[in-house]
Amino acid sequence: MTRRRPVPSRFARRQWTISIAGALAAIGFVGAAQLNSSLARQDFITSAQRVLITEAEQLTRQQEALRAEIEVAEDRVRSFQEQDAGSRSALELLNQELAAARLASGLAAVTGPGMVVEVADSQRPVPVDESATNYIVLVDDLRDIVTALWASGAEAITVAGGATEGGPPAERLVATTSIYGAGSAILVNAVPLSPPYRIEAIGPEGLRDRFLAHPSYIGRLEPRIEAYGLQFASEARDDLTLPAFIGNTALRWGAPIPERN
Amino acid sequence: MVARMAQLSLFVVATIIGILLVGQLRSQARPLELSTLTAQELSSLIQTLSARNVDLTDGLADLREQIRDYERAELQGRSVLALTEEDLDGLSAFGGLRGVEGQGIVIEIDGAFNPTAVNDLIHELRNAPAEAIAVDDVRITARSVAVLGTSAIEIDGVPIGSPFTISAIGSPSGLRSAIERPGGILTLLAQSIDAVFTVTERTSLSIAGTQRDLTPQVARSVE
Repeated sequence: MTRRRPVPSRFARRQWTISIAGALAAIGFVGAAQLNSSLARQDFITSAQRVLITEAEQLTRQQEALRAEIEVAEDRVRSFQEQDAGSRSALELLNQELAAARLASGLAAVTGPGMVVEVADSQRPVPVDESATNYIVLVDDLRDIVTALWASGAEAITVAGGATEGGPPAERLVATTSIYGAGSAILVNAVPLSPPYRIEAIGPEGLRDRFLAHPSYIGRLEPRIEAYGLQFASEARDDLTLPAFIGNTALRWGAPIPERN
Repeated sequence: MVARMAQLSLFVVATIIGILLVGQLRSQARPLELSTLTAQELSSLIQTLSARNVDLTDGLADLREQIRDYERAELQGRSVLALTEEDLDGLSAFGGLRGVEGQGIVIEIDGAFNPTAVNDLIHELRNAPAEAIAVDDVRITARSVAVLGTSAIEIDGVPIGSPFTISAIGSPSGLRSAIERPGGILTLLAQSIDAVFTVTERTSLSIAGTQRDLTPQVARSVE
């Protein structure tokens, strides 16, 4: 006597068919979306643009290398300044002044309470009759956030872009920092950043409340969040640590005015 | 047998869906898409990056010179005090704590203006790049932003009346061409603001240090 495997019922077979059809439809949908987005990026790149893109990438790499070298050289200068060179008390006093100047100018890493803001492009589909730029984070949005933060009492701010891990380091804002747009690219301290953008600020208690009530946020950014669905989140934090500015601090076209005692 | 085949098929299908979904989600992060920029935008980006790299190269050269000075001072048994004082002067001037004198431009602005336009102009000058900026007599530091006060634009709590001037130290021709270029900030502002801009290059310009106390109240230095 042979044992026969039970024959699947017609109902069970239909269930399998529906499941597989559903899965294949999902693959088709996701695959098409994936293909669509990669085509959109690769479309219409002329050879001239390709040359420019390569140059921009090379310059970005060169910038990273220069900043790393500057960081090393600054450490070396600091180590000389902290050495004992005869008049210890005078040097200690001078180094205290130097530390205070670095702290006030954004050239020292700082820690303290504050807030974090994250903003990213909208995930809503762009209607046919609307401009896609309404749905992405623009340079004005970052400037408005930073303006509202400084005006709300922030004492130190950094802006970071892209992935939290492996992305470019956060850029500390100093007196010479520009937040600048070139098309959809946003440069902070001339470093190209990409969304999502993360802005961290150290400041006195109530910083987040003041920020969310500031006209630069309420009057300009909030309406864009509501109208176009820009992704936005903010949170108060008890303890943040922000890095120091890395870059050129030397003056080429000007010189410090000597202090008159 | 049929059931095993179906399970296997579903496993393969689920794996493919997973891979595609991860790819799709990653593409939502919008990495810096240089390929979406126009040739003009790419040129502008390259110009900015090139200018900043020249600036960083100069800064690195200065730091290396400073290191050589310290090394020479050590060999000659000289005090590092004088060198450290120079460094303090330079850092204070950079941060806006100390006055700066040098070449640059002065922009006279007469007419209706708003805080956003002032901030945009400041960002444009910084990108040019300006080494020190003042609006009337108010030195612009990292923390200085123009906001609408009770009756006028205010920066660091100081009202800015009309007409007013913006002074910037840097390459006079470089600063001027950055703000006057076609499609640049002055062209954009002229479309939205009823004001007259007069730009003058100066071979000698003096900008005072900030009057504001920039000592942080809650931020502490990380040792």
